[in-house]
Amino acid sequence: MKQAVISCLHANLPAVQAVLNDIDRQGIDTITCLGDLVGYGPHPNEVVDLIKEREIPTCQGCWDEDVVDGLDACDCSYPSQLAERRGHLAHKWTTEKLTNENKDFLASLPTSIRRDKLLFVHGSPNSQHEYLLPDMDAFAALERVEMAGAETLFCGHTHLPYVRELGQGSIRVTLKNTPNKQTEEKEMNLPMRRIINAGSVGEPRHGGSKATYVIFDDKTNKIDIKEVSYDIDRTCKAIIEAGLPPIFAWRLNHGFEFAELAEDASHVCER
Amino acid sequence: MIERWALISGLKGDLETYERIQKDLKKIRGDITLFVLGDMVGAERNCNSLIDRLINPHPGDLKPHCIYGWWEDQLLAERGFRGEQKADALRLNKGEGIVKALVNAVDPYYLNWLASLEFGFVELDCGLIHGSSKDIGDKITIDTPPLILLDRLTRLGVNRLFTARSCQQFHLELTDAVVNSYVKDIGGDRKQEQKVPKRGVIGIGAGAYYTLYDVGSDKTHFLNVLDQPKSNIRGFG
Repeated sequence: MKQAVISCLHANLPAVQAVLNDIDRQGIDTITCLGDLVGYGPHPNEVVDLIKEREIPTCQGCWDEDVVDGLDACDCSYPSQLAERRGHLAHKWTTEKLTNENKDFLASLPTSIRRDKLLFVHGSPNSQHEYLLPDMDAFAALERVEMAGAETLFCGHTHLPYVRELGQGSIRVTLKNTPNKQTEEKEMNLPMRRIINAGSVGEPRHGGSKATYVIFDDKTNKIDIKEVSYDIDRTCKAIIEAGLPPIFAWRLNHGFEFAELAEDASHVCER
Repeated sequence: MIERWALISGLKGDLETYERIQKDLKKIRGDITLFVLGDMVGAERNCNSLIDRLINPHPGDLKPHCIYGWWEDQLLAERGFRGEQKADALRLNKGEGIVKALVNAVDPYYLNWLASLEFGFVELDCGLIHGSSKDIGDKITIDTPPLILLDRLTRLGVNRLFTARSCQQFHLELTDAVVNSYVKDIGGDRKQEQKVPKRGVIGIGAGAYYTLYDVGSDKTHFLNVLDQPKSNIRGFG
């Protein structure tokens, strides 16, 4: 059975509509959303209403959490101080626009969804704010999947879609010393695991302006990273009209973050 | 001069054990640096004398370099040093009575000193922490999966991690770690083999059980002040 995984919608209604239409055209019924329904974009209520209407199982993203709980993340949430300042403007705007009913909906979202050996989260199993970048330390990436008891981990948050397979690993563990001079040596084979990042529907940062999501076929184990065109101008116009920072419109057109990317993938939000 | 580290933890107000460790260390040759990896306080006894001794070492004492541990963290939370947090973990695990006993065991005079302590030290390429780089309550044991051990080392960017929270004494070495990574994204595919150099995790023990570490040779000595000959304990050696 094929299933679609979407993430980081960021209040961009035209992008969400285009992606859902693309999924519908392929006859895929199972859709999972990895959160960040709101933030940056001009249509927070419309996007939340659409996800509710379609009854799409959804994890809570970092923006969904912050809009409900207030901004209390540590510095790791933004790649730079400029990005943080812009993010705070968007947070304030979104908080004012979002209805109480939709805030309650965001508050009710789970931080993870599990289906057998598939685990769906926004950032990582540790935190909605942790970035699992495609080239982060391979052992740390493997630890995130394995210690969460999953074989395949679906995540978002980075806005960079990718598939990463980790395998053919081993490690030698030697007990060098104990109080009774016990020693022991064993070689352990590391499990094969997979991380699938769904990218971003509403604010791509992979260097292209198309919305991205992934399709997973659990029979063949095949993953397709999909790119979908949408009416970017409509969203950009709405961003400007809403009074949101114009840079949000600029980056939708360019497909990458204006500031540098977060690089410390091993950092865990210390709230 | 041989450089050694003495690592102790979990004294929980036990000044007598601390004095016996200090006495032991005086007999050891070499240049010794003393690290106290937290849990100086506890709920079992009044901790003021021990804290006072740590702050004001007696003549001849090795100067202790202290970090805070899980019990200090709980005390500071209950005393309002951690924002809105309280000693919830302690309350949940041991009950209200123990929380009250902990609060009563430490004079408020010492709270600012406890609050000024660091989460951990990085010395050379070693991390010295009460729990782990993930959490002060993280119990690293002899059975902790190696992927978790590597993760805790990676987070701190160190080759060796000294930990106390589990109260166990052990020296684990991780070698020949390799994992293959295959990434596919919109830009294409790439393969990478990642290897990790030799790393180590050392559990230092607690209370009367402590660890001596030879910095030059990477050797651990797991000691305690319970196994001493009786004559030594009586002081007639």
